[in-house]
Amino acid sequence: MRTQSKYFNTAFLLVAALSLVGTSCKKNTYALPVAPDKLQDEAIKRTLGPNIVGQNIEFAYAMAIKPSKGKLVNCTAVASIAGAPGTYMENRSFYTAQTGADVGVTVGSPSVTSGTTTTVTYNHDTSAATLRYYYVIPEAARGKTVSIKFTATSSDGESISTTMGPYTIAVMDMKLNMAVSNNNLMYISIADSAVYNAADAVAHAASIDLVYLYRNLTTSAFNHALVAPAADPQYLPGVTLPAGVNRSAKMLKVFNLQDHNLAANEQFGGTFIDDIDFQKLDLTGDPNFALNLKLDAGVWVETADGKYRAYIFINSVNTAGTAVISMKRYALK
Amino acid sequence: MFNSNLNNMKYKIFAKIALAALLALTTWVSCKKDTPVDEDGLLITTRKDCYVSSFEILGTDFVSVRVGTAVIDTTAQTVNVTVQFGTDLKNLYPQFSLAQDCKLNPKITGKTDFSDLAHPRQWTVISGDRQVKKLYTVNVSVQPR
Repeated sequence: MRTQSKYFNTAFLLVAALSLVGTSCKKNTYALPVAPDKLQDEAIKRTLGPNIVGQNIEFAYAMAIKPSKGKLVNCTAVASIAGAPGTYMENRSFYTAQTGADVGVTVGSPSVTSGTTTTVTYNHDTSAATLRYYYVIPEAARGKTVSIKFTATSSDGESISTTMGPYTIAVMDMKLNMAVSNNNLMYISIADSAVYNAADAVAHAASIDLVYLYRNLTTSAFNHALVAPAADPQYLPGVTLPAGVNRSAKMLKVFNLQDHNLAANEQFGGTFIDDIDFQKLDLTGDPNFALNLKLDAGVWVETADGKYRAYIFINSVNTAGTAVISMKRYALK
Repeated sequence: MFNSNLNNMKYKIFAKIALAALLALTTWVSCKKDTPVDEDGLLITTRKDCYVSSFEILGTDFVSVRVGTAVIDTTAQTVNVTVQFGTDLKNLYPQFSLAQDCKLNPKITGKTDFSDLAHPRQWTVISGDRQVKKLYTVNVSVQPR
């Protein structure tokens, strides 16, 4: 009885092993995929990072139908909030050449935008195309969400839609490449997102938050600095503040926080400062001056009235006493 | 015959007790900690070295604000460091390098306020065997403009 059982177990294992070998060696037959008979579409969002008012959100919308069934007639994109002027859809379908460059092939008439709807009407016989849609984020969308509904229509009367989003539009805004210079354009207003000289600063005294200055001292590393007007005068050597310029912003100096939107050089990759960074920022106990700022340094700032938080990035510096700065700004109140 | 069985039984009981005692002893020896650690989970060693070997101090941007090298006096137990003009003394990150197996008390967990120059910050260096403790004073001075 025991021997029989032993033989049975061995036989069972052998059969199981053989069946496994048989299964693993079975040839998988490949069949070419068959395109569905109906109109198809697909959409992707091409832009990364926060959605900032005035900037684009770029989409690529692909649509296709079997040539035997018909051809593409038109493509529409309907935004939940009308895009700002400049919103458009490409009337060219792109392919990538061997050089890696995108090459456009015109497939339709230039897009027409009316209110929330942007349309491209095909004027070439086209069965498949990918059109890019650039939605310029309007002021009306700040702090809200936006969705985009893409629809393709074919000559056989079919239509198909894909909705992208909702995407949150950032509360913050951005000002790029502001030139500052020693003893001239040196008064920075975060509220105005602007830089003034001494004469203009008088007219905007209540909104001047920072003073830019450059001092090439042999005794200390002063160099490029952002200093609040109300800071200790030792941090504002040789500066005579215009009348009424006396606010005290809080500042936190950082280095190597190279925001992708602010840093012109795209090698800095995928670091983005977003609303949440400003919401969580705590500058309690931080000073009202930041000296010895170098290229790629940055300063978090909170204005004296608590209305704004900002991140100022140093795009470039020059020992002649000039610099280029870019700013992201978040309104708190 | 009866006595012989009794002796045999006694011998067996004795052997069992001895075996149990040996087992208990083995368990106790094997469970005994031969690598003691302190309350921070750090290994307590036999080293008695107790000093600061180097010192660095960083600003909020994690860039050094030190001017020159920090002067460490292991006899006076002081660290004298000069920082750049314009350094925010309230928000600095000190970094100590210590002799092997030493630790620092209190621990440095974030920004440290050095703004009260009249009352310099102090840290105790504790040796690897946790028997030697030396109080170091960090004197910060600001570079003139």
